[in-house]
Amino acid sequence: MSEVAGNIDLAQRLRVAVHTDNPLRRTALGKMIAEAGHMVVDLKDEADIVLADGSRPSEEARNVIGLGIADDRLRGALPREADARQIDAAIRAVAAGLVVRAPPPRDNGFGAMREGDGQALLTPRELEVLAALAEGLTNKAIARRLDISLHTVKFHVESLFRKLGARTRTEAVARAAERRRNDIIML
Amino acid sequence: MSLDVLSQLSTATAARAQAAKNTVVAIRISEGRHLTGLVWQSGVVVVSEQALPRSEEFELVTPGGATVAAKFVGRDASTNIAVLKTDEPIAAPVYNAAEAQVGTLTLAVGADGASGVSARLGMVNLVSGEWHSRRGGLIDRRIVLDIQLASREEGGPVFDTSGGLLGMSTFGPRGQVIVIPHATLARVVPQLVKDGHVSRGWLGVALHAVAVPDALRESADQSSGMMVMSVVEDGPAAQAGIVAGDIILSVDGISANRFRMIARYFGGDSIGRKADVRVIRGGAIVTIQTTIAERRAA
Repeated sequence: MSEVAGNIDLAQRLRVAVHTDNPLRRTALGKMIAEAGHMVVDLKDEADIVLADGSRPSEEARNVIGLGIADDRLRGALPREADARQIDAAIRAVAAGLVVRAPPPRDNGFGAMREGDGQALLTPRELEVLAALAEGLTNKAIARRLDISLHTVKFHVESLFRKLGARTRTEAVARAAERRRNDIIML
Repeated sequence: MSLDVLSQLSTATAARAQAAKNTVVAIRISEGRHLTGLVWQSGVVVVSEQALPRSEEFELVTPGGATVAAKFVGRDASTNIAVLKTDEPIAAPVYNAAEAQVGTLTLAVGADGASGVSARLGMVNLVSGEWHSRRGGLIDRRIVLDIQLASREEGGPVFDTSGGLLGMSTFGPRGQVIVIPHATLARVVPQLVKDGHVSRGWLGVALHAVAVPDALRESADQSSGMMVMSVVEDGPAAQAGIVAGDIILSVDGISANRFRMIARYFGGDSIGRKADVRVIRGGAIVTIQTTIAERRAA
């Protein structure tokens, strides 16, 4: 580890242990960690960072990065839906002695009902595809879940990108979440 | 006194800020954190609803520096107004209502948390007519200021240069500072003081605009509708069998995408009325009869 806090080494390969009860999340997080060039190790083994999903491991003396955990004592805290690049950045930053916090979701304030303000509305099918994207499903998995062809999934994803002005799946999910926060109407 | 116009302006705004001291109280919301309350009438304090934590009792710091207890009276999320009442009466100034005009200077006042005030000099950036909030409340004017506001200053009064009250400051979307106009306060505060809430019709659904699928566009005769995202348990919609995923096309013939007309339709007089809700469900269009209930306290 660097002597001076904040000296982030982008080539460093760190040992990361994953704490979660959810096997699907374990696989997904393990994949993200490996793809970022780190080593996934067992919780019992020596690790530079413990990535904790949903709950904090008890009696953990090592550096913990929490996903979706509200606890000020954590060295790193990210939202549960943090993507691979954010997790990698947090791992390297915490390993370099920094404290990592994601900014709180932007307060949406007291706003107006928007009526036909020209934004392209999503169809119910597109919303289903979007929900699957948010879970990190591949096009193939989405096709299976919604019982439609791969071609149709691609068509819907393209349409989502266009309507939301997004270039990546993560961006599409984020844009849609923001829209939803702003445009839910209680009746 | 200097004849320099800038010095005069500065002296005048400083005097105004001092004079505004008895218009605000600090509302303690946690250790070291507070909000601003607008002293509306003797013992009646108006607060920004979105900023006020849910609690029955609050501690206020008055202009004199005294700590007084206050009780929660009522809140209306649809107009972003909440009301507290102090146990001991506190003196209230007399306000003159002022109309906002684009380009006029404003003084936004907040409580500093001890016994003093904080002040922001700004300009009315935009003014337009009445508008409806996401929760359906009617706000009499849209008034946008060009200032920044600290969260502890939200809920304070905004004055024009002649000392008239434009309304209460609050945060709009993306940190924009807007004003809940005097007229809206004057309409809603008495209802909150009397009943603790503002009566509105209610179905108990959260809605999100969606495009009607192509195959149904012709029979629906509209291109967009409101998808039910969630249904309040035991609410009127739930009792009528409306479920998440239904797409509401119209209520008593009013297109669901005409939100403002819908908001108007669900005023206090709608409570108890039967309403026919036309929805798309599973690829077919069905009509479901509901009974509009009174909105529950949020």
